[in-house]
Amino acid sequence: METFLQQLVNGLTVGSIYALIALGYTMVYGILKLINFAHGDLAVLGAFIGLTVMTGMAGSGAAPANWIVIVAFVLAVLVVAIAGVLLEFTAYRPLRHAHRLSAVVSALGASMFIENGIMLIWSPQTLTFPEGIMPDTTFHYGSVVISATQISIVAISFVLMLALYLYVNKTRFGTAIRASAIDQDAARLMGINVNKVIVSVFILGPALGAIGGLFIGVYYRQAVFDMGWIYGLNAFIAAIIGGIGNIPGAMIGGLLLGLFSSLAGGYISSTWQQAIVFGLLILILLVRPTGILGERVAEKV
Amino acid sequence: MLKQKILIAVTALTLGAAATTAAAESVTFGVQAPITGQYANEGQGIEKAVRLLARQLNEKGGLLGKDVKVVACDDEGKATQAALCGRDLSNQDVFAVIGSYTSGATAASQPIFARANILQTSDGTAEQLTQHGYKLFFRNAPPNSAEAAFTGEYLVKAKQYKRIAIIADHSSFAKGLGEAVTASVKKEGGNIVYNGFITAGSQDYRSVLTTIKSKNPDVIYFSGYYSDGGLIRSQEKALGIDADFVGGDANQNVKFGELAGKAAMGSVIINVPAPENLPYPEAKSFLNDYNAAYGENPPSIFTLTNADGMRAIVKAVQETNSFDPSDVATYLHSLRDFPGFTGPLGFDDKGERLGSAFQAFEIQGDGSYKTVYPAN
Repeated sequence: METFLQQLVNGLTVGSIYALIALGYTMVYGILKLINFAHGDLAVLGAFIGLTVMTGMAGSGAAPANWIVIVAFVLAVLVVAIAGVLLEFTAYRPLRHAHRLSAVVSALGASMFIENGIMLIWSPQTLTFPEGIMPDTTFHYGSVVISATQISIVAISFVLMLALYLYVNKTRFGTAIRASAIDQDAARLMGINVNKVIVSVFILGPALGAIGGLFIGVYYRQAVFDMGWIYGLNAFIAAIIGGIGNIPGAMIGGLLLGLFSSLAGGYISSTWQQAIVFGLLILILLVRPTGILGERVAEKV
Repeated sequence: MLKQKILIAVTALTLGAAATTAAAESVTFGVQAPITGQYANEGQGIEKAVRLLARQLNEKGGLLGKDVKVVACDDEGKATQAALCGRDLSNQDVFAVIGSYTSGATAASQPIFARANILQTSDGTAEQLTQHGYKLFFRNAPPNSAEAAFTGEYLVKAKQYKRIAIIADHSSFAKGLGEAVTASVKKEGGNIVYNGFITAGSQDYRSVLTTIKSKNPDVIYFSGYYSDGGLIRSQEKALGIDADFVGGDANQNVKFGELAGKAAMGSVIINVPAPENLPYPEAKSFLNDYNAAYGENPPSIFTLTNADGMRAIVKAVQETNSFDPSDVATYLHSLRDFPGFTGPLGFDDKGERLGSAFQAFEIQGDGSYKTVYPAN
């Protein structure tokens, strides 16, 4: 039982990170019907910005650990949000009315561009986060161990997801986002500045992704330039499981994916972990082709 | 005109004959090593060590009274270049070849030296080097299977672990080593409570470790690379698992300590020791000489295993009082416990190195290594 609870804790932590990153995929898809393949790499960019800030500030020893963490997260969010907007302007906006396939190719190109840029700026090596910045307090319940880092990751993720949910569903601008997702032309006729909505999505998604990416960094205390691929893929799967285009779906998908892969790795086989996760994806899509909370596509046609 | 050519030819022949006469008073050791390219520092180390050993022999009157000469050929660590070196050194009538550094370059020149009846000794660890039946080939570094045997002995006999968990990844190296360690632990009568794989580079090993925790092991052995090993160790401690950590040779990298952080302390890594950590007096004195001659330390342990290969051949020549390669080979195949720089040394009938040079090091608080087994 305690082993099971420990697997749940592990899965929940990873799942919240997947969920944060998945939100970026799902928001962009919701508005543009575009899979932003560069999103995983934007999240990794966040991890590297945070790494640089933490290493620099920890090295100088001028600031207390809490401040270092806050500054690292704030800067990571700012830089990655700007990168997201730049991405929108350079890689996607010129192709807004082109064939959808062109935009997908552009997204793949952007992904490689960011990944290789990170490699050139930082290095192809695995980089480590400095020790002692995140609190290493742990809580024991029987033999179940929960670290303060895990609690922070899960708690902050939930708060951010709740905030996003409220923003999209309860505010005026959120309504504009939802309207643009349903029908851009109709939204435009209602006086909504759809371009502004798209830019906002390319700020919110990458900002959340940057937090997710930096969570990965501080949780595992390492960052590699090419890890965006695997985290991007998992988050993308999470978005699809939950129903791509649907914000609560991405949250549920991320958590489910984290829990499921943790349990599969722990109880069935860590060799087959990835295969089992993909199996789950296929199974869910067979039963519910639009994902767990996915919109019924027929309604939109 | 024609006469001139004949004259030149005759002169050349005479000179050639003279050279052959002179060669009778000397014996040539060839070095085939990557002296330039990616592994240049390893190749240069091997050449330097061989030249130093030759000089030391000559200072003591040579080998069976003959002057020891060294010719080197740069194989750049490439198979194509290695084949050229094979012909080049054969044409220079070498008695024995030291090298090469990489298994690939060694495999390329092996058949050429075998046909030319030339002794060869190399550090290449790929298992197949000793499986072609070349009677004149001797591997001077322990192969991967020797590491597994040592690991089994360390885990079961030395540390008396009762509950052993073994993790590998899917790379051919780590999988092979993991399987060999499993076999070796079973052979020693050890109790394996978990045997599984992680996906290298996936960063999250908590699900595997949580399962391992429920098996209550007293040691976790990992056969893969440092980038995963460091994380496994750190996540093991984060999950509150009270088991020792033992890693295979690919964990010996400064990054292991960086990734594991404070948890690195107390983890044990099994590898051949770095040259400066060798406990043997022969090794210490050779390191001093090497340092005096070149103003630096040998780049790695493989400089010294190759030096050991040459020393074993020299020893065989002295003992058999013969420069006949097959006499020397017969002696080497029965050599046991020769005091090498890298530990007691011998060869089996395939030319495989006997005698383990492996040690278990424990990572200290300051990141340095301390040999814990075998005890000095």
